[in-house]
Amino acid sequence: MTAVFAGLKVSAFLAWKTIERGNTGTLALTIMIIALIFVNLIFLPSIISGVVETFNTQSIDFDLGNIVVEPREGSQYIGGVTGLQKKIERVPGIIGTSPRIAVGVTLFYRGSNTASTLYGITPEDERSTTRIADFMTEGEFLANGDTDAIVMGAILAGREGEEGGGLPSLEGVMVGDSVEVAYPNDETRTYRVKGIFETQSFGVDTAAFVTGDEASEVLGLHDQASVILVKTEVDGREEGYKRELLSYGIQEEVWTFREKTGGVLDQAIQSFNIINTISTLVSLIIAVVVVFIVIFINTVNRRRQIGILKAIGIDQQIIINSYVLQVLFITAVGALAGIVLAAGMTAYLTAYPLVFPGGPVYPVVETSAVLRSIASLFAVSVLAGYIPAWQVAREDILSAIRG
Amino acid sequence: MIVAEDLTRVYTMGRVKVRALGGVSLTVARGEFVGIMGASGSGKSTLLHILGLLDRPDSGSVTIDGTDVLALSDHRRTLFRLNRLGYVFQDYALIGELTALENVYLTSLVRGDQKEEYLGKSTEILRRVGLGDRINHRQSELSGGEQQRVAIARALVNNPSILLADEPCANLDSQTSKSILDLFARLNEELDQTIVMVSHEDWHKEYFCRVVTLRDGLIEEVTECRRA
Repeated sequence: MTAVFAGLKVSAFLAWKTIERGNTGTLALTIMIIALIFVNLIFLPSIISGVVETFNTQSIDFDLGNIVVEPREGSQYIGGVTGLQKKIERVPGIIGTSPRIAVGVTLFYRGSNTASTLYGITPEDERSTTRIADFMTEGEFLANGDTDAIVMGAILAGREGEEGGGLPSLEGVMVGDSVEVAYPNDETRTYRVKGIFETQSFGVDTAAFVTGDEASEVLGLHDQASVILVKTEVDGREEGYKRELLSYGIQEEVWTFREKTGGVLDQAIQSFNIINTISTLVSLIIAVVVVFIVIFINTVNRRRQIGILKAIGIDQQIIINSYVLQVLFITAVGALAGIVLAAGMTAYLTAYPLVFPGGPVYPVVETSAVLRSIASLFAVSVLAGYIPAWQVAREDILSAIRG
Repeated sequence: MIVAEDLTRVYTMGRVKVRALGGVSLTVARGEFVGIMGASGSGKSTLLHILGLLDRPDSGSVTIDGTDVLALSDHRRTLFRLNRLGYVFQDYALIGELTALENVYLTSLVRGDQKEEYLGKSTEILRRVGLGDRINHRQSELSGGEQQRVAIARALVNNPSILLADEPCANLDSQTSKSILDLFARLNEELDQTIVMVSHEDWHKEYFCRVVTLRDGLIEEVTECRRA
């Protein structure tokens, strides 16, 4: 044990002196490459996590709430909505419910028209469940009792002279303007635009809202809804709340927002993960090559010196370990520098987020991703440092001395 | 004491077999300063490498202070070299990143010596070889002679039974060579240090107690103690 400790002490001594007094330019360059590889290892996962986070937040805040209650199979609408709302709100941890009537409509404005989804909502309930009302860019959100008012997303409202580029757009609707809405049952209504909102979620910003009373009246519905959005006190425990709701005897279809969005998000994440895997592999291969070359050149140039060290009684494992310790130092400082760079990158992208169709994406650096990156970087670096050191150190003493 | 008996060593170079040693027997007593001389290719370095446990003979035996060193495992041979032998090479073979003092105490570190002990020993041995004021200089800041003195100090720091030197003056001018040989002679006389040294310079003979001359892998001549 003492011999092992003494050996490690000598390895550390040789490694440190080489780092301290060796070529600082090569050392700095190697550390910088490792730092950049580290940043690359955590950049894509942080963006993927950011996309997932944004998608989830946008879904909960604007589109679906935490849980979605839908009509039983074979029914178009949920009946007895008021009673069902009360039943749902009795479940501990449920802090809001918002029944929505969803209908495909055509909107007309000054000669232009576009198809979109119109939701009939109870404004007060919607405020307790989603955050759309907090994102009004012009005018106001709907109030209970509004019958001739409509609010719409910024994309649907559009801008004068600009086409929607494939998205529904009325090309410049302003607050106070009147728009005509043609319902699928051939009823047509004219509404005054009360407000325009912008959530940066494409699905929401291309939709419009009127009150549920108005939609029910036009569609001839009574205490019915296409869907009830449910807001829970805590995000992330939707499965538990769903089981609770079902245990309260709710007969309708109950979905968590993840179940509703899973397919789309899973596909996107799968694609991202393929890119991430390729990027990770390339990064790690670069790390292997860089460390291998640095240590290989170092050991080959010192082949004779390594032979001499062995000749004077220094065990080859001490020599190998000194190179491994150098690699550990380079990787540790490189990872540390990488963390600083990644923190800078994260701060920048938090201030100036990437804009995706689902909304602004902020990088989410997960501790597990950082730990995984550090672990993989250390593993490949140590391996890449050990092999050339082992190759040269195991060489016959006289062959090494003769160079 | 070294007892080598009937050592043979054949190297295979491609299809050609080269006989480096053809049955050499040699005994080196404690405190002797033995010179191994001969023309290039006579087998002198091969003999030194076998005596220094850097190579193995094809046949024969080597006993150092009663230990059959050819029977030792590689690990034991490494420990034997560390604890019992000291080496001085032609081109000094110092570690460039280390100071003179660090180069000298490196093997003491491996032995697990205490810091005060190895610092004291290394400083003293450097002073003894005339480098007391150069201990914190690195290889690039030392002359060839000074570097060789550091190498000698490194070889001596653990009080080896035998000091093996492979043409230690080959890269030095005659003045510096003389100072190195004077140092060897002084160590031999004052510390009773056993030294086996390979050389091809005739004028070095005056320093040796005994000269073993090799020719074509065999001992051609043994000249007893020329030095008074």
